[in-house]
Amino acid sequence: MADQQTNDDTVAMTRWQLNGQEVESPTGMTIMEAAKEHGIEIPCFCYHPGLSIAGNCRICMVESNRSRKPVISCSEKIAEGLEIETESELAVSSRNSVMEFQLINHPLDCPVCDKAGECTLQDHSYKHGPDRSRFVEDKNIRHTKELGPSISIWGNRCIVCTRCIRFCDEISGTSELCIVERGDRSVVDVFPEIPIDNQLAGNTVDICPVGALISHDFKYEARVWNMDRKDSVCGGCSRGCNVEVETLDGFVKRLMPRENLEVNDWWMCDEGRYGWRHLYADDRLSQATRDGAALADVSATAALEQLLCESGPVAFLIDPYLTCEEMHLVQGLAASRPGSSVGGWLPEDGNAANFPSGFTISAAKYPNRAGAELIFGDQVFGDDAKELQKSLVSSDFTTVVAFCGGHLSSGPGESWAKSLSSTPTSIIFSVKNGPWLEGASLVLPATAPIEKDGTWINEDGRLQRTRSCWSPGTEPFSVELVRLQTLQNALGIRGRSLSAAGIFRELAATHDSFAGHNHSDLGSPGLLLSQRPAGIAMDGGSE
Amino acid sequence: MANTISFCSETMKQYEWLLTRYPTRRAALLPTLRLAESDFGELGVPEMRYVADLMEIPPAFVFGVVTFYTHYRRAGTGKFHIQVCSTLSCALRGSEDVVSRITERLGIKPGETTPCGHFTLSKVECLGSCDTAPMLQCNDDYHEDLSLEDVDQLIEQLRTEAEGGQNG
Repeated sequence: MADQQTNDDTVAMTRWQLNGQEVESPTGMTIMEAAKEHGIEIPCFCYHPGLSIAGNCRICMVESNRSRKPVISCSEKIAEGLEIETESELAVSSRNSVMEFQLINHPLDCPVCDKAGECTLQDHSYKHGPDRSRFVEDKNIRHTKELGPSISIWGNRCIVCTRCIRFCDEISGTSELCIVERGDRSVVDVFPEIPIDNQLAGNTVDICPVGALISHDFKYEARVWNMDRKDSVCGGCSRGCNVEVETLDGFVKRLMPRENLEVNDWWMCDEGRYGWRHLYADDRLSQATRDGAALADVSATAALEQLLCESGPVAFLIDPYLTCEEMHLVQGLAASRPGSSVGGWLPEDGNAANFPSGFTISAAKYPNRAGAELIFGDQVFGDDAKELQKSLVSSDFTTVVAFCGGHLSSGPGESWAKSLSSTPTSIIFSVKNGPWLEGASLVLPATAPIEKDGTWINEDGRLQRTRSCWSPGTEPFSVELVRLQTLQNALGIRGRSLSAAGIFRELAATHDSFAGHNHSDLGSPGLLLSQRPAGIAMDGGSE
Repeated sequence: MANTISFCSETMKQYEWLLTRYPTRRAALLPTLRLAESDFGELGVPEMRYVADLMEIPPAFVFGVVTFYTHYRRAGTGKFHIQVCSTLSCALRGSEDVVSRITERLGIKPGETTPCGHFTLSKVECLGSCDTAPMLQCNDDYHEDLSLEDVDQLIEQLRTEAEGGQNG
């Protein structure tokens, strides 16, 4: 915020008292934000850091020396000499009373509610709510209905915080939602025949503090406390939104956006969010085949070794879904086969979108073009690719290794498919079945973007760490990172297999663009490749 | 969805005058809805959509405003909209009895419309006539200091009017 800055570029500070202690916070902060910085979390429902302040839920009331009545800490700003009590009798009783009001019409349907376990109302009720209801009147009944193709509302659960409405007004700019009726009958609704159907609609379900908005995709799919979570990055486009991939018994159940103010704020698009269904589509590949016959996973690796050992120069066709680590391994292989050449294919551009909040969806529907261009040179998808295709057509290579990843893409185009099938020995890592597998000598199942462990570079040049949604016990086949290293071991160009972090260290040691970086310093927001972590030894980091 | 309805030229003139009276277009929504109500007779989906398009504000916002207030004529409201005040003064002076009597006479509960479409009954909050409690508003008219006999009389009168209007 500009008003926090003084001329000499230091942040102006305000002194105030929090629960009897003198504290300092940046001028202009609200009581809630400032208290959080000092380790005191004030409960909230309607407040969301990414949205405008509504101040309607009243749960965040605290006692102030400047007011006879309690004040709402989400909108009240700190001031010199302000004394705030968050645990005084007045503050606690205000909070408890608000909680009792919030609960009078709320159904006790947590056992069947998808939000249970991650519900703000449940959490606050546990901490601040009464253990029984004094409400003897009839509870209000409000509508349960579909608001759009992917979202329904359970009106009885709605606490009318208006987060979803502010999201549609301010972030997606589509304004489909409104509050209808008034008083205790008020509830979220859409205009008749104008459903909520925008590219960011799924976020309204995430920010709903209760189970009022429910995503059809996740309805009755899993209890949230049973799921495993991995901090990953969406591979749906070059934006690289930070996501949390949630799995149950090894199967993906849901993708949730993960806060990263440098990339995606708190949001993600529905295309990325619901794209995981394609992981389990009928055309997904998990079985290796040699000349059409099924192969066990170990035999597939052995076959790969055999084909590569016998080969002369190899043509490598990469895709922009590979992680920097996988690309480094491919580069090592290419270097070990003199005369080899590397080119890449790009899927066609999709739709781009810009939203009023600044959130963007990139037209480039792949996660790591920038990484490939740093590792293989900026012509890897340009002149190098053209050159490679030409030499494949004129049969300069007898062996080609191709990577056909991207479970959401339509794969390499027809001309690539033709050049692959015309090469005598074609080894294809593919995420799904497609025309490019026609006549392949060896087909190896490949990972989809969220199944990969490693790093990608997004369109801003931000290096981000993505973690595989698979745990070792649930991997249905050897991932590329393992298979390529096994191959390198067999070819005698590698001594031992490393984790993704170890491979990245090799990459950082050999490529100037990556020098100074390592996995453990990336942190959750990632780092621009140009911002090298200060004072880090090149071999630092963990495996 | 193309709108087949539009303001008549007289209403449009009034709307344009209204816009000059408010700092923002959105601020003129309430009186514009009044205009729409008198021009179109009621505020149903096409009418709300028309107003939203005309004023360039999201239809959902208009929907929220129309449903917030009890005094707009929503689609399906009967020819006579009987709104019985049920806030404190009227409640103390017997508004519940007024509602029960109307329910008894017309066979509808608050929030319902008679099958013939002549009457809609609502319980509403304070209509600002506490000194003449209990009272009700029928369309644009106040009926004050009500006794149950007054209620009977009013309903008879309205019924005659409604049926007469239908026959004639």
